[in-house]
Amino acid sequence: MRVSAALPTGVAALLFESARRRRDAEERLVARLREADYSEVILPILDYLEPYESLLTPASRGELYRFVDRDGDLLALRADFTPMLARVLAPRLASLPLPLRLFYRGDVIRYQEERAGRAREFYQLGAELLGVPGERAEREVLCLFLELATAVGSGSLQVVLGFAGALDGLLLAADVAEPALLAAAVARRERSEVRRACPTLLGVVENGVPDRPEDLGPEAAGRLRGLLALRDELAAAFPQALLTIDLAEFARNSLDPRLLSAGVSEGERPYYDGVVFHAYAGPAALPVGGGGRYDRLFRALGAEVPAVGFSLSLERLLETAAGGVEEMRT
Amino acid sequence: MIRLALPKGRNLETALAAFRAAGIPLDGAGANDRSLLRRLPEEGIEILSLKDWDLPLYVGHGIADCGIVGSDVLEEVDGDLLVPVRLLAGRSRMSLIGRDPVLPAPGTQVRLATKYPNTARRLVAERPWGAEILKLSGSIELAPVLRLAELALDIVQTGRTLAENHLVEIETVAEVAPCLVVNRASYQRHRALLNDWIGRLEAAEVVS
Repeated sequence: MRVSAALPTGVAALLFESARRRRDAEERLVARLREADYSEVILPILDYLEPYESLLTPASRGELYRFVDRDGDLLALRADFTPMLARVLAPRLASLPLPLRLFYRGDVIRYQEERAGRAREFYQLGAELLGVPGERAEREVLCLFLELATAVGSGSLQVVLGFAGALDGLLLAADVAEPALLAAAVARRERSEVRRACPTLLGVVENGVPDRPEDLGPEAAGRLRGLLALRDELAAAFPQALLTIDLAEFARNSLDPRLLSAGVSEGERPYYDGVVFHAYAGPAALPVGGGGRYDRLFRALGAEVPAVGFSLSLERLLETAAGGVEEMRT
Repeated sequence: MIRLALPKGRNLETALAAFRAAGIPLDGAGANDRSLLRRLPEEGIEILSLKDWDLPLYVGHGIADCGIVGSDVLEEVDGDLLVPVRLLAGRSRMSLIGRDPVLPAPGTQVRLATKYPNTARRLVAERPWGAEILKLSGSIELAPVLRLAELALDIVQTGRTLAENHLVEIETVAEVAPCLVVNRASYQRHRALLNDWIGRLEAAEVVS
């Protein structure tokens, strides 16, 4: 009998050289994480759905593979490491010595519409720093992220930075019936919609930051100044990376309960509540990872701890290093 | 060098006219040009010629930095692209079409023919009637004419084809416009140039 080599949509088998390349890259990154005193955690591929129910948005629910176990329990395949790690640690946190520096590696499985280039299985490597307050943790995690992302891949890395809730004041002050639609328009940079609703947001749509930082309100303006200083410091330390601050990119990372109840945060990773960032690599600028502060995820699970982390997609990083799309663009 | 994807279909001339009006000449990218990739070194632009349905994928994957594509296609393929402006010319509407000028009665089940099954599914989910969606790739109007389906969801420009086939536009569902779409990462990299283009398109009053 001839057996077909076809695999289900969105998954791939890595054979020979491609397997070796990924393991090599992984070992290099893991060695660096260990050097930085991060300890590995190994998490299961399956978990109960129930602990995550209150944390899910329509988008993150839509990407879950859920099924009923033979015992009748509702289970889900791992679609994101961060909430899983948080839910495993939250009940134990009181008895653990802080700070905790942890890293993980493994697959996440996410349902994605069937389209070319959309995988459903991703190999991720990530790190989380728990128990270090304020900017110190953000600086450490961003430095580590930049170091790892530039160690593998083509070297041309673009990192977009912002912080959750930056535009909340402007979104709430805008003359619109549905702030969720305005936040989506800002995130898509739809100018006419934004110009009509809130001309101040137009500067954010065009340049990533408002013409006058104080337009964000005193607290957010202060945070923006702090982030600009951190960006400059990181840009000097990592000249091979292009770091930009763009608040429009994170328009839907809201903190205000009024906006949250209006459905502004409908994205896949809505738990970020401080600094948030994502990165693109290679000439085709493939999304290769991201992260941020997510204290509220722990709070939602009954634990108070400052938490910052990131994840990297190894396949994407290696794709940029392999020069597939690069060759086409040069 | 920025790579711009232009559509091969009905939106090509509209796109070229808009860029021309904004003082961004894309000479040589006309309808008679059969090359797939053309460089305009003086302008720092590379032009990629693509079918409407492929264009969002190329921009989404960063192969093209930006492009012009109809909002009908954009809504259907659900990519995470930036949509800074929509062209004023070349607009049409997406409508429900049938032989009779009335929508199905609540509770009834019909067949709906379309090139846009995802858009149709979202539309039907909010209606009191149900529909089996039939995905066709062309001549959508034929489906209600030959009774393959009671309804069709399709683009209407002048309405002449409908009238010639004794069909009626029952309800306009959305306005359709050619859109400038931009890859998220490309926007960061080419922000100054793209903002300049968008500003010139706005000043020429060819976009909204």
